[in-house]
Amino acid sequence: MTDFLASLENSGFGTWVRESSSLWAYPTILFMHTIGLGFLVGLNVAIDLRILGFADRLPLAPFERFYRIMWAAFWINALSGTALLVADATTKLTNRVFYIKMGFIALAVINMMLIRHRVFRDPEIGRAPPGGFARMLAVMSIVLWAGAITAGRLMAYFGPVSGAPGLQNRLP
Amino acid sequence: MYILRAIATWLHSTKLSWAVAGGMPWLWPLCETLHFMGLALLVGIVGVFDLRMLGMAKGLPVGPIQRLMPWAMLGFTINLTTGFLFFTGDPFQYIHNIAFGFKMLFIALAGVNAILFYVTGLSRRVDGVGPGHDVPPAAKVIAAASLFLWIGVMYWGRMLPFIGNAF
Repeated sequence: MTDFLASLENSGFGTWVRESSSLWAYPTILFMHTIGLGFLVGLNVAIDLRILGFADRLPLAPFERFYRIMWAAFWINALSGTALLVADATTKLTNRVFYIKMGFIALAVINMMLIRHRVFRDPEIGRAPPGGFARMLAVMSIVLWAGAITAGRLMAYFGPVSGAPGLQNRLP
Repeated sequence: MYILRAIATWLHSTKLSWAVAGGMPWLWPLCETLHFMGLALLVGIVGVFDLRMLGMAKGLPVGPIQRLMPWAMLGFTINLTTGFLFFTGDPFQYIHNIAFGFKMLFIALAGVNAILFYVTGLSRRVDGVGPGHDVPPAAKVIAAASLFLWIGVMYWGRMLPFIGNAF
């Protein structure tokens, strides 16, 4: 297993992502991951806030249009995340916090699909304020995305050191 | 530049700077985590408003979206506070950092863009734009500039360790 992770990390692509001095390698991939985070989590939270009753003069149904962008942002992050993972396979894939992050994201994405099917596809949408179940999903969404962000950031502080060479994001 | 260095030297000598830079070991990671949450809140709410003005999710009336703006302001305030703490913790890694300069410039331009939206009266004109209707072209320009500038802020922030030398 360790051999497999090392071969991923030392593949041409993994080495390029990690060690290239080009801004198009590690820095741009990390930037894409940040953009994806902003739009995926941000639009989810905007929908959650509306479900929870803020800005309730806005009809809820048209918010479903933002799922296109949320899914695009999700795939940007799945791809950029995979690239960052390959570049640091031996450290990130042996980091328990990485699996906690993946757990939060899996649950958050399932939750996001549930909101689409149970809130947006509800034929009663718009006739009454979202009910208890919808509100629970909205709260879960905020909690799960906050958990994903926290775990993602803490990957830099727990477990084996990884990241681009010279990037000192550790505590002294 | 001299004043900036003097401020940096003074900030660096404070107890707060010591705490952020590792004196309280979990303060820096906590601020980083909050900075990402603030980012998402700001980009998400501003994104809904800008994308609607650009013609997405046209079923939304434009005026009431502004009711969500306090949440964007909350995200911005979280990031201003945590950002100030990063700067206090290690001011010298930022004041000579070109990416930091551009990040501040882009935030200022996003602010000017928002002020223009209000002082030109566009904000009041879009307030009455109902479901299915287009905002005036000038408002679309402001919306596109807003998206561009906030994405730019994220770009320069992300480049702090790579183009500059901050972590």
